[in-house]
Amino acid sequence: MTDTQPETEASVTIVVDGQEVAARPGELLIDACERAGTYIPRFCYHERMKPVGMCRMCLVEVDTGRGMGLQPSCMIPVAEGMTVDTQSEITKKAQDGILEFLLINHPLDCPVCDKGGECPLQDQTMAYGPGESRFVEEKRHYEKPIPISDTVFLDRERCILCDRCTRFAKEVAGDPLIHFQGRGNQTEVNTFPDEPFSSYFSGNTVQICPVGALTAKPYRFKARPWDLEETESTSVADAVGSRITVQSSRNQVLRYMGVDSDPVNWGWLSDKERFSFEAFNSDERITEPMARSGGDLEPVSWGAAIAAVGDALKNTDPSRLGIIGGARLTNESQFAFTKLAKGVLGTDNVDAQLGDGLPAELVLGLPRATIDQACAPGGTIILMGPDPKETLGALFLRLKHAAVEDGATIIEVTPHRTGLGQYAAHHLHPLPGETAALAAALVAETPALDTAGVSADAITAARAAIAGDGPVTVILGRASVAESAAVIADAALSLTSIPGVRFLSALSRSNVHGALDMGMSPGLLPGRSTLASGTANWPNTPSTAGMSTAQMLQAAADGSLDTILLLGADPISDFPDTDLAERALANATVIAVDLFETASTDHADAILPAAAPQEADGSFTNLEGRVTKISRKVTPPGTARPDWIIAAELAMAAGGDLGIESLDDVWAQIAAVSPAHAGIDTASLDANQRDGVVVEGTLDLPAASGVSPAVADAYAYRLVVSRRMYDAGTILANSPSSAHLASGTALHLHPVDFDALGLDRGAEVTVSSATGSVSLPVEPSGDVPRGVAAVPANQGDIVVGTLIAVGDVATNVRVERGDS
Amino acid sequence: MGYLQGFAVTFKKLTEDRVTTEYPEQKRPKADRLHGRHVLNRYEDGMEKCIGCELCAGVCPANCIYVRGKDNPDGDPVSPGERYGFIYEINYLRCIHCDMCVEACPTEAITESKLFEFSFTNRADAIYTKNELLVDDDGMPQHLPWEDWRPGEDEMTSGWMRATASSGNAAYEGKVAWSGELGYGVRAPEIGQSQDAPPADTSDSGAH
Repeated sequence: MTDTQPETEASVTIVVDGQEVAARPGELLIDACERAGTYIPRFCYHERMKPVGMCRMCLVEVDTGRGMGLQPSCMIPVAEGMTVDTQSEITKKAQDGILEFLLINHPLDCPVCDKGGECPLQDQTMAYGPGESRFVEEKRHYEKPIPISDTVFLDRERCILCDRCTRFAKEVAGDPLIHFQGRGNQTEVNTFPDEPFSSYFSGNTVQICPVGALTAKPYRFKARPWDLEETESTSVADAVGSRITVQSSRNQVLRYMGVDSDPVNWGWLSDKERFSFEAFNSDERITEPMARSGGDLEPVSWGAAIAAVGDALKNTDPSRLGIIGGARLTNESQFAFTKLAKGVLGTDNVDAQLGDGLPAELVLGLPRATIDQACAPGGTIILMGPDPKETLGALFLRLKHAAVEDGATIIEVTPHRTGLGQYAAHHLHPLPGETAALAAALVAETPALDTAGVSADAITAARAAIAGDGPVTVILGRASVAESAAVIADAALSLTSIPGVRFLSALSRSNVHGALDMGMSPGLLPGRSTLASGTANWPNTPSTAGMSTAQMLQAAADGSLDTILLLGADPISDFPDTDLAERALANATVIAVDLFETASTDHADAILPAAAPQEADGSFTNLEGRVTKISRKVTPPGTARPDWIIAAELAMAAGGDLGIESLDDVWAQIAAVSPAHAGIDTASLDANQRDGVVVEGTLDLPAASGVSPAVADAYAYRLVVSRRMYDAGTILANSPSSAHLASGTALHLHPVDFDALGLDRGAEVTVSSATGSVSLPVEPSGDVPRGVAAVPANQGDIVVGTLIAVGDVATNVRVERGDS
Repeated sequence: MGYLQGFAVTFKKLTEDRVTTEYPEQKRPKADRLHGRHVLNRYEDGMEKCIGCELCAGVCPANCIYVRGKDNPDGDPVSPGERYGFIYEINYLRCIHCDMCVEACPTEAITESKLFEFSFTNRADAIYTKNELLVDDDGMPQHLPWEDWRPGEDEMTSGWMRATASSGNAAYEGKVAWSGELGYGVRAPEIGQSQDAPPADTSDSGAH
């Protein structure tokens, strides 16, 4: 695989069709020829997967010293003096023969097939095929498309058994749920009985299928390739920032396809990223400004809405005004809103994170790793954060590849086993709330003791792995919103004593890293600078740090904050303490800038409709700090407009002026205040479309807070509330093919703890904490350690947020039979 | 006296057969291959031939065809197979009647009648949708109020099929024939067309 090969000067010389060509040692012949400009047709070979030589389409005449002979070029590495003839009569006859064989059973229903027009089998039959077939016999028949998952259809008649999807499922995604079955002429790809292909990455098999055997439900029969227009952009579904092409027809986006960005996603996407466009096309989008009059939200004109909201912002004392959210905005819009708040309105109460993230100074202060650095061969990866398979799909695939193919050692430091667990060498599961103690033990010099529920032996083994030769990277985030951020911050500060350690933030909400870089956090200004160190020469910049989301909501609930501006944020669903969010929004004047009506906008007094990422140009900062371009493909519905324009108009209405009339203006202003972003502008982002520009620069690290959790009684469990790929989040809930995929809320206990309850699987239990109690079905799970009660967050059915008191170091709960 | 020769021409012409007709009361027969207004054909069982593949839209040099496909409804399919033409529109303000769509159609769903005498007073009428283009249950084109159909003019709506091989080889010398035409069967081959064309009463339901 070319991606992991170091760029070396050494090369071998081969002869391709009479021309001498320099190839990299160890490179496969098919790649060497392609780089030299000679395309060899292929179906099974994919540059991001191991070769198998299944389809035989890449047969070419090769002389390796024993005379010319047909060899599959995807299976032989180049060697000095190798002679290849891709145009010989024998090669052509082999290609003719293979295509005639592949088409024996292929139904040739190209006119009804979604792949028709962009189909490698169609294209290569035209380019290399014999033109006519000698087979007149009846073709093999199977039931036409069978759903193998909620989003993927399988048409076995069209399959040419190239092994791409099955290899992807097994080797890349690690979900071997589809496989070859049967023998000979009856060989087919299928799922195992009663077990759907329920992989988070199933959409990739549709993209790499060289025929129309696998098709995606959201795109089925929507358009043909020749009526699609495309533009390259960045996925905003999570913080990985995977590169995508946005493809549309008739001003409607119809699909996203992964683009092979070598430093980021290697062409793969999680299904959440791939199918999130459905939400932006939804009829539920807000299309015009609304204001509350007499209890109901009524449509109003933009002029009236902007004037009213501007007045409300201007007439609120800056200390009684808060801005929550902004992680879903582009960098440019984030800058505009930061300037609106901190330069015009004069409030520092701005927080893009919803109490489920990490302190901004910590994320910006730690030495950052890129994904490539984290996945370096032979490195050590400490996973101290959420399950990447659930929250950062494309990153998970890179980490898995590093562990399985490149000899990276993964140390899991999570409250329970994650999707990366089966590839991890060390599994340390500290009790929630005691992660910092374990981290301190991992870097201590003294002999290891049992710490935080982890045995001394396990700690000693992990220490040895950390002390190894390879670079050490910490994937840092909040594994559970029921554990306070201070614990993770303390743990991270302990780990900074590892020599050469770097950190890769695992905050997952869309462009949250852009928000931090643009100063959407209390005490920060754009460009990774603080209120004290920042150079922004704005008129009303406050001098003291403002409130975080948790503090703002608490203040609003107490009546000491009057107006809350929500920027694409839904605190009622996403803030850990649901109760507090409800009380706060009910108590304050709420203005929402959003795409959809949410639980939180139900409390809004005015809603301003914003343009979705595919409807406005901008840029995105991923978890590495890599800035890439977001491109507009279609027009926003109704009168929705880009967020930065809304910010600029609100500033006008509030009596100020952002001085922003275009994205170029924004970048000029960012460059003036942020040395970290020097050299980035719309032109340089256009020039570096694929790989973007990585922003460098750090802040001073905060001091450790030294928290420790409340001691629980012997009957209590520590609660873990973690995010899943599919939940009731706004985007997923408005995507028809993903909306029903949330697993539902259930309590997961270690099998021994489960048995101790004496209940059946799925029976109702009552879970109660100091702040509330809920009824949940209970399930045993081998992934959960003893003494831990794990619950997925925001599944839309049962609200578990009432159990959590924000700020508590850990949440102790009691689990009782439901009838008590 | 030269002007008398001029009168002589006039009087001579008075006795000759006239080449003009009283159009539109009288019409001259149209050429067999005249390209007129399109029809969307059906199979004998009433199923629509169109599968919504958009090849006609893709090949159209005037960009006047808009097609969208959709899954055939379970239990009540509109066309054979998985997909049917859910939207089919031709904008006659743009159509140049080149017949490329007829050649591109893999199921002989779209063919052209010989009707060119139709006019509109607004743009919406000029955009024919499936409602106007589909033939009736007997396979006959619909006669819309603004179209001037005369008896017999809905004959010969079939298209000349298979001019080239499916592989795109222009030198292909296989069978060339007219597509089937509900109500009228299949036209006799013309000179130069394949002589062993299918007999006139052949069923065309196996075309898909």
